[in-house]
Amino acid sequence: MDKKTVATIAYLSRIALNEGNEEKITSDLENIIKFVDQLDAARVDGVEPLSNPLEKKAHTREDKVTAENRKDTFLERSPRSNEDYFLVPRVVE
Amino acid sequence: MSIQYKSIKDLSNMLLKRDISHEELIKETFSLIESNIDLNAFITLNKDSAIEKAISLDNNKVESTLSGIPIAQKDLFCTKDLRTTCGSNMLSSFVPPYSATVITNLENAGCISVGKTNMDEFAMGSSNETSFFGNVENPWGKNLVPGGSSGGSASAVSSGIVPAATGTDTGGSIRQPASLCGITGLKPTYGRISRWGMIAFASSLDQAGPMARTAEDCAILLNHMCSHDLKDTTSLDEPIPDFTEDLDKPIKGMKIGIVKEFDLSKLDNDVVKVFEDSKNHYESMGAEFVEISLPNISLSVPTYYVVAPAECSSNLSRFDGVKFGTRCDDPKNLEDLYIRTRSEGFGDEVKRRILIGSYVLSAGFYDAYYKKAQQVRRLIKNDFDNAFSQVDVIMSPTTRGAAFEAGSKGSDPIQMYLEDLFTIPANLAGLPALSLPNGFVNNKPIGLQLIGNFLEESKILQFAHNFQKTSDFHLKTPRGENIS
Repeated sequence: MDKKTVATIAYLSRIALNEGNEEKITSDLENIIKFVDQLDAARVDGVEPLSNPLEKKAHTREDKVTAENRKDTFLERSPRSNEDYFLVPRVVE
Repeated sequence: MSIQYKSIKDLSNMLLKRDISHEELIKETFSLIESNIDLNAFITLNKDSAIEKAISLDNNKVESTLSGIPIAQKDLFCTKDLRTTCGSNMLSSFVPPYSATVITNLENAGCISVGKTNMDEFAMGSSNETSFFGNVENPWGKNLVPGGSSGGSASAVSSGIVPAATGTDTGGSIRQPASLCGITGLKPTYGRISRWGMIAFASSLDQAGPMARTAEDCAILLNHMCSHDLKDTTSLDEPIPDFTEDLDKPIKGMKIGIVKEFDLSKLDNDVVKVFEDSKNHYESMGAEFVEISLPNISLSVPTYYVVAPAECSSNLSRFDGVKFGTRCDDPKNLEDLYIRTRSEGFGDEVKRRILIGSYVLSAGFYDAYYKKAQQVRRLIKNDFDNAFSQVDVIMSPTTRGAAFEAGSKGSDPIQMYLEDLFTIPANLAGLPALSLPNGFVNNKPIGLQLIGNFLEESKILQFAHNFQKTSDFHLKTPRGENIS
């Protein structure tokens, strides 16, 4: 885990590092990764990964609209919106 | 008549006998919140609506033990028209347009939500020191942490402000603060309580649960918190028993598993003594002890610190400053908007976990970390399956020690992660587990953990209630009194 790797994953996560925290974060991540490297000791050949403790099929339901249109309710919670859209800085010049 | 430290059952009886009105009870609760403001247990109060609901219940009571009972809601549950921050600057002014299913269930049963409790940011922490809204104090001592992440809920119940609170538990966030604050807290089987409206941290581990003074009160709350919810695809479609039904059944002849691999010799002698005393206590009630082996249990914490950050990095990608929540000032372009919003909105621990998650999920590392952790997760679950063919419940300390001082864990995150050594395995396996007060170390409370088999909340509640009928650890207040 070097500074370049940390910079890459920070960008993938859309999180900025700065001079104040870069070193601390890099060493923390290094230590955490070292810590989870204990998993190397486990014998897992042929073990099916467990992604959810229930191991049940997700429920399905009929594809019909149950919610009412609450466009205004949701738009008014946006940091910036007009009457129809969420607003962000210009994307296409 | 004081309402402080009263149980749900006590308050319900007082209301029934009209010793107190619903309105008086709720107003008295807000007086207690005011006089305990230094605990910093609450982020947002719901005073006007709460009093309004109390007045309406005085006129039209709901037929339920929970009618009019004040409850504190962890600030991770969405509450309609009431600010929900998740302890983060990112959501510091977020007002949800709907309530979580579990909130609706409790309110329909008559509970009155008095406010939203402080917590570690996005439930990531074990000491309530990562909240954007400041540390919470443990009522048992100045500058002591209440544990986390449900620290505000634990502190509010422990100080006797409310008889009940909601919490959530991803790696121990109900049980660890319950242990450190001297109260009872239950994490149900994964899927028992709907996650709809709970702000997600690690979706395959998160589970809501009750925090209260006694196991009996937890059972009463659980009866109303559980439901099969079509809005949550992992919500269990299983019969929901009356969790109070088996409470008084004796435990004579039942078997308690002691985990061979939990090395208690590394704990303080006082902590071990409290645990041994509880074993003797159960033995005197006729329970039998069986040593069980969970061979992969030592890999629980490393497994958790791959699975939980991976799921967190994915879940928290929704906080982009566009649709809701905080947005940075004057973004130069869309990318600047994303990056600065997230950098300013999240605290250090949340950032750390997002970065770890992005790393273990990135191309080239996925198999070595995420897939491997999921494989070890199955081995841990299999270990529990084997163990439960021999025993009724599994018992361990909840925590490695009593409450510690704020700032005392230093800046090494792994020291804090190891706080959850005993609690994490139940989350990985999806099993129900609770913590109940079982003694004191240096005048600070400490908890006993009981883990149950899949869907067997009733059994761990029965074990806990039997213990509480014959002990008084849960009746001690931080002021050194005994609740009558």
